[in-house]
Amino acid sequence: MILQTLAVAFFGLVAVWFSIVVFRTKSMVRSALALLGAMVALGLLFLALEAEFLGVLQLMMMATEMSVMAIFMVMFMMDPGGLGQMEMTHQKKLSLVAGIVGGLVAALLALLVDWGALVQAQNLDMPERQNYNLGMEIMGRSMLIFETAGVTILVSMIAGTLLAIVSRTQTTEGQE
Amino acid sequence: MAGLSALAILAILGPLVAIGLILLLRSPRWSPYLALVGAVAGLCGALLGLWAKAGDAIPGTLVLPGLPNLPLRLIISPTTSLLSTVVAMVSFLVMLYAVGYMQEEAALPRFFAEMSLFVAAMQLLVLAGDWLLIIVGWELIALASYLLIGFWYERPGVRQAATRAFLTTRAADFGLYIGVFALVSQTQTSEIAPTLEVSGTAATVAGLGFLLAAIGKSAQIPLQGWLQDAMAGPTPVSALLHSATLVAAGPILLLRVYPVLNGSVLIIIGIVGGVTALLTGLTALAQVDLKRMLAASTSSQLGFMLLALGAGSPGAALLHLVFHAAMKSSLFLGAGIFQHKYHSTNFSEIAAKGGGRAYPPVYLCFVIAGLALAGVPPLAGFWSKDAIIAATFASAQAWLFTPLVLLGTLLTGSYVGRALRLLWPKPESISREVNANKSAVSGWMLTGLVSLTGLATTSGLLVKPIGQLVGQEIPENGLALVLGLAVALVGLLVGWFELIGSFWQRLAQGNFRLDDWLKVLLVQPVLLLARVVSRADGWLHSGVLGVGRTGLNMARRVAGFDSRLHGAVVLTGRAGLDLARLSRQTDERGIDRLIAWMVRNIRLLGGRVRELPSGLVHQELLLTAAAVILLLGLILISR
Amino acid sequence: MITLIIALLVGAALFGIGLYGVLSQTNLVMIMMGVELMLGAALVNLVAFWRFLHPGAYSGQMFFLIIMVVMALEMVVGFGMALARFRAKGSVEMEEAVELKG
Repeated sequence: MILQTLAVAFFGLVAVWFSIVVFRTKSMVRSALALLGAMVALGLLFLALEAEFLGVLQLMMMATEMSVMAIFMVMFMMDPGGLGQMEMTHQKKLSLVAGIVGGLVAALLALLVDWGALVQAQNLDMPERQNYNLGMEIMGRSMLIFETAGVTILVSMIAGTLLAIVSRTQTTEGQE
Repeated sequence: MAGLSALAILAILGPLVAIGLILLLRSPRWSPYLALVGAVAGLCGALLGLWAKAGDAIPGTLVLPGLPNLPLRLIISPTTSLLSTVVAMVSFLVMLYAVGYMQEEAALPRFFAEMSLFVAAMQLLVLAGDWLLIIVGWELIALASYLLIGFWYERPGVRQAATRAFLTTRAADFGLYIGVFALVSQTQTSEIAPTLEVSGTAATVAGLGFLLAAIGKSAQIPLQGWLQDAMAGPTPVSALLHSATLVAAGPILLLRVYPVLNGSVLIIIGIVGGVTALLTGLTALAQVDLKRMLAASTSSQLGFMLLALGAGSPGAALLHLVFHAAMKSSLFLGAGIFQHKYHSTNFSEIAAKGGGRAYPPVYLCFVIAGLALAGVPPLAGFWSKDAIIAATFASAQAWLFTPLVLLGTLLTGSYVGRALRLLWPKPESISREVNANKSAVSGWMLTGLVSLTGLATTSGLLVKPIGQLVGQEIPENGLALVLGLAVALVGLLVGWFELIGSFWQRLAQGNFRLDDWLKVLLVQPVLLLARVVSRADGWLHSGVLGVGRTGLNMARRVAGFDSRLHGAVVLTGRAGLDLARLSRQTDERGIDRLIAWMVRNIRLLGGRVRELPSGLVHQELLLTAAAVILLLGLILISR
Repeated sequence: MITLIIALLVGAALFGIGLYGVLSQTNLVMIMMGVELMLGAALVNLVAFWRFLHPGAYSGQMFFLIIMVVMALEMVVGFGMALARFRAKGSVEMEEAVELKG
């Protein structure tokens, strides 16, 4: 139990530290990698919280997602290496206030709410049982939600591809 | 002894570990030495394996855990350990030379890592006891050679040369797959030894497949062109590629599968080899570039090996393979030094700037290696070439093979003689530039060159031991000895005095290009077909036009009917319009005014609200965030 | 108890940092990074709630999956927009996106 608390605290700190780095560094590629670090730390945190499947899922998803993000960084930035010391922020003070206030309110909520009796580790399902139960949940009660999510993903994939393709009429108009 | 022979795996592991360390350190200073240490470790492993297996008829097998039910085997037999020793020895000396040659290059870690990969892959191919490993090694040397030929990828033409080499050899690799599938499907095992007992149609198919693979890899007719383009790589690469590694893979493969090859396949192999030896010999005779001449000569010498195989004497082929490795690599190293000194490999440019004698030790080595290649006693090439000639005498197709091999020997002598003559200009013409450039030849390069030349000189003593070692009879014949020597000397004289006119020059210089054949066989029929199709298209077009015209006529007739209908419609329409005008006037007076008043007011309101959102994403997001925080605060208060 | 609080605090911190990033960054891709962080905070909270409050209710894990889907969708739509915008304007700086004004 102590070990779990320590692990959660450690990975949580790592995640927070990495996410601060995301907005502190000038280099865009570096901030994408820092975000990857934060997400990996979160995945490890989930593992420490004994949600094995979710932890592994997080690790795998984020590894690909962040590498895609890094590629886009390089594509879209005038200065992905952050060499020009260009200012990339605006309304900094307001945002800082909003961020701190939002975080503080959320933290206060976490501290002040009475969470009731907690479940001890002994009552937790084993990982394979967890997977089984999650599968039953997906294929049973939550089937409709899951299918909706699947169709939504498909639609967004198609939409994303359509957005990404240069339409032929557009280019010819551009040339004329 | 089994334990000792297992050490032969060092031959693969040495270079592999070197790659790992080079890529880990990425230090331009240390990577040459790491590669050298890896090559030395490989050489030690190969020598240990050879020593352990000398006089041991039973091959040692090393079973590595592979996939379930599919173990990977290495085989350490006298033949494989001999070949592995040759590969390790040549690659070590070439690596030694490369340390000097590549001194001024920038991408040293890349170069030496690729070289080590090349050597490791070749050792894997040589020592493989399993078809799976053979395929892996075969593919890896193709990859490594692609990388190495394209090493100077920023220079013009280099990438095309690398791609051409890769595609040609890969296309021919199709044959290897056919052969392997034919054998494995017959025997249900991937171990090599049992599959070699296959006979009948499967054996013929497999043999032809392997022959195709060997033709591609060893640059035989008609796929010989890529080897000359491959000269675009650095010279140590050419030396390695042309002697013990890439091109030698073809004969090595055929040597390994020799028991499967039946009579008809052997004859085809012999014919391919003989024709290659002749045609590429002519190509070599016509070349104006030193390295390209050596490349053509490599094809020609590999043709000799295939010819020996076809004549039924794997021993002679193996002997020539081993000796050729030493001779050709030393020739290339010599050429590389000239290239460094004169910044060109063109014969006339080298001659204009002082030629071979401007730097006697190198020229001497070049002469020795060249004479060895031509077959002058007591140098190495003499013994192996005579073994091949004797083998053709003994074969059933002596009437076909003997003239081929003798002509080939004549040509070898001629192009060697011509090259030596072209590199021989007078010493007076040594320019200052060359003297100033003396530093271009470093101790590393000379050491490699001299050691390899030494090997080429003395390895003639090893004919008997090698024959005993691999348990193959090396053919001998007194008449062959005399004939071979006579032909070689005549060839040398012919080449030295340039007795060959320009008759062959133009044909051979183009390397009997496959492109032209392609043009005749493929391009012209395709063009013809295209013309036929286009004519058919014309007919189709006029047909469509005819249909269109009929349609137009019909449309015109329909239009006449239409205009009559139109008049009736217009009459009805006018009555409708009158009705509409009436209803509009009532509308404008009453309802419209009300609507206009409402619109005006809503617009006013909208204008006020419009000033709030700025259209800038971040400012609107800030509003959203404020709302979210407000909500959270509400939850906090009302908890 | 303390573990739950720690996890929730981590979530709160991530949320605050993500909010700051979303509001302060000028680049569309960087804004998306902030959104990712905020969604990550939601993930932390969900897992913590599932683990310490209702380990038998697998709709918690289901919710996690849905949020993950939302993250992926956000990436797709965001990058699609970024691509279209980059093609049209040559930049994904949001300061220049004034034509959103009605």
